[in-house]
Amino acid sequence: MSSNRFRGGPNKGGPRRQENNRIYRYPLPLIFSDSPPSRVRSILGLLGLSLNQVLNPNCEGYYDVSTRSVWIVTQRDSEILWRRGFFGKGNLSRSEPSWFVRQMKDRKSKGSMTSEEVREKRRADRKQFKLDRAAAIAKVAAEAETIFETEGRVVVPALFGPEIPSGATWKPSTVEPEADAGLEQEQSGDAKDTETKEEPEEEPLEDMEHLQLTLQEAFFLAWNLDCLSILDPDTDEPLSLSEIWMTFQQVYLAPPIPNSPPPELQFDNPFLVHYAAYHHYRSLGWVVKSGLKFCVDYLLYKRGPVFTHAEFAIVVCPVYEDPQDQEISTTQLQNSSPFTWSWLGTINRANSQVMKTLILAYVTIPARSRVSRSVLNSPACFAHYSVREVIVRRFIPARMRD
Amino acid sequence: MDDNLEQPNAEAKPLLGNEAEEEDQSSGDDDEGPDWTKLMPASSRPIIPKRGDKEFEPLKQGGSGLQQHILLRSRNAMFEALRATRTISNKTVSYGTWHPTLARVSVAVPRGTSMNNVGHTVPREMVMPDGTMKTQKRLELLPEEGVYLIERGSLMCWKEYTIEYPNDGTFESVTGIPMTVQQAYTEMIGTEDLTMDRYQVYAYLKRLGYSVTRSKPPNAFYPVAGLYPPSMSALSSSYILQRIFSTFSSWISGIFSPLFSRAFDWWRPLRINRWLRSEKNHSFMFRSLRFIPSGHKVPIHSHTETTSPYEPFFNLYKPPTPFKKSAPPPPDYQMVVVNARTTPMPSLSELTAIYDNAPELPLPLPRVRNPSQIQGVSYKKNAAGANIPLESRTTKETITPSMTIGAANGLMPSWFSSRTSAPSKQNERRVNPFAVLRQGTKTAIVATVDAGTINIFRFAQGAFETGPWY
Repeated sequence: MSSNRFRGGPNKGGPRRQENNRIYRYPLPLIFSDSPPSRVRSILGLLGLSLNQVLNPNCEGYYDVSTRSVWIVTQRDSEILWRRGFFGKGNLSRSEPSWFVRQMKDRKSKGSMTSEEVREKRRADRKQFKLDRAAAIAKVAAEAETIFETEGRVVVPALFGPEIPSGATWKPSTVEPEADAGLEQEQSGDAKDTETKEEPEEEPLEDMEHLQLTLQEAFFLAWNLDCLSILDPDTDEPLSLSEIWMTFQQVYLAPPIPNSPPPELQFDNPFLVHYAAYHHYRSLGWVVKSGLKFCVDYLLYKRGPVFTHAEFAIVVCPVYEDPQDQEISTTQLQNSSPFTWSWLGTINRANSQVMKTLILAYVTIPARSRVSRSVLNSPACFAHYSVREVIVRRFIPARMRD
Repeated sequence: MDDNLEQPNAEAKPLLGNEAEEEDQSSGDDDEGPDWTKLMPASSRPIIPKRGDKEFEPLKQGGSGLQQHILLRSRNAMFEALRATRTISNKTVSYGTWHPTLARVSVAVPRGTSMNNVGHTVPREMVMPDGTMKTQKRLELLPEEGVYLIERGSLMCWKEYTIEYPNDGTFESVTGIPMTVQQAYTEMIGTEDLTMDRYQVYAYLKRLGYSVTRSKPPNAFYPVAGLYPPSMSALSSSYILQRIFSTFSSWISGIFSPLFSRAFDWWRPLRINRWLRSEKNHSFMFRSLRFIPSGHKVPIHSHTETTSPYEPFFNLYKPPTPFKKSAPPPPDYQMVVVNARTTPMPSLSELTAIYDNAPELPLPLPRVRNPSQIQGVSYKKNAAGANIPLESRTTKETITPSMTIGAANGLMPSWFSSRTSAPSKQNERRVNPFAVLRQGTKTAIVATVDAGTINIFRFAQGAFETGPWY
């Protein structure tokens, strides 16, 4: 993901890294005030007491039924939630909401490249590299053919070597003193065109992007940290915590029938199962992001996506304590039946190829016979769920003989 | 990393740090066919890239035949290698008799090193030459051992036959009808729980040099593998100290906690005391959020299934493990063999059943030069003090057998562990924390077989809840 920008190990310094350490220094949106040193403070400190206050950013977001997400529309709140714990995703960006910055850059055509642009440039470079390499290989092969034809000598054409560029030796062919300068020129050229066109109708740019939180993220922030109020989009009124609790469950149940009581709450609600896993890994300090691009439910980052690549890929596997509950359930809970071996192999291959370890996170669903469904009226029901991991790797006997 | 993807060559990738470890996951050379040209004398050996892009693409004007020539040369090398007559020394051939009713091969003449780690002795009633019955010990092979030795040319096998037929005196000690390899396959596979899938896994492991025995003794005389040493964590003195300490600290906190904290409110899980400095930091916040039950110690309230296909079938001993066939040591690994098409992957309760009988793994060793060891840690690494590089032995707090993850487990149940776990944290700094999480505490190995293709998975019992946390 966006961490591609940061090659090299976690201990590598550099101005960019230091800046990231500064920007992303808080792991959670709640922070603590830092009162200036004083005598009172140092005495209290000796007693293990302190006057520092918890600073709650009190963010606001709108609940959106159709996308099952919570939208953070103000730039201040988006920035806080992204920078302190990497919550959410910009709806017009890959991860960090950077649409506005990209637009501004397009207008001004200066400043650093956004991560999307870095990626585009990398792709173009890679394509060119492959073309160059193919050409070099073809050239060597043609030479070998000629030698065989004329002298009858067999020279096996090389696929690598001094004449053939590799990822390490290849340089962009437009080698000017500064490759970036060329690129920038090009861009500024473009920008000039647009500027001349648009200059008469230059208007202030409005940020069209919002940060969207999954329901798990939103509930984590609203419930545990109490730093997010979720507003009803129709009334603009904040929902109470118990309303949020009910709403987030009901959105996964069958649509309500008019003039009838709302559907009964279920233990195997996908919101509850995924929340249990999400909360578990968040509480262990991992930054948990969606793993859809890697065939899994979640990715675990140490500190966050701008610092390192994700280390673990989590598949949430719900397990019914009582198999009968599964039979009578109306919910088609994903991954609640064992995978076929081919599918397990598929996920494992996809993830080990990108240096991630596949984890099956089993979430047990309490049996109806054991626990009354009335506990579902409050988050106290989480005491009856449990999360445990199974780590999947291939075992290759040929490599483990000693 | 991109660079490695780009190179279409057969050079071994430089193994560095994390990558080296991950390398174990990618498909290895063992997945490919043999390189026949290696069997030719070195001078005439062409170089063929083992993997990567196609070596050449057809030209528009047509080539000069160089590629044809190279291809032909390699193909001839293969035929040359296959044409050679297979021979075997008379001194290394054993003679045996297949007893269909017993599902065993009795070995009359054991010869050669291949007999060192197969077979077991069983007392049987036997007819002596003078017609009397006498109980005598003899060496017997399980069906998989029989088929494997026959196929490899180390055993000549006769089928037991009741009718006397003239023995010309060549093989005095063996009587019966000579068996072919095909006959051995058809008759022996299917007996004594041996399926084709299991035989294929057995033969694969044997060819790699492992000693392989049955996990469940097929009869009373089959030697039983030694027991695993009792869980290291339960015995070590430091563990007991930790137990005392943790009960003591929970007792203390039991007295004081009512003073400071209220009852847990499920609608407001995070409470930060206005006054206490120790609660005004992020690690306290994370710690107080760890209230969802987690880890394999939490009981699963579910009914155990009656029969599970996931019972360990083979015990594996790595080639360097000293193996005595009459008294085998505790196995390095236990392996389940299933058919990939008919058996779905194990459920949580099936995995738990395997973990219940598996030994606890020690913490992984600090990163070593030769990373091939990292992936497979057997219980024996406990005693592998000698393997620890010198530099890490300079401090006393490096890996001692007592410092297993299990020992750390004992500390964790209380949320006050940040204070009590100081020694184990220091310990963990030496090993890569990701390696600790990746390895897990126990392991279950499942070989899946699909029409002769074997793929083996390792399901490790994870312990994320024991930290390290970020």
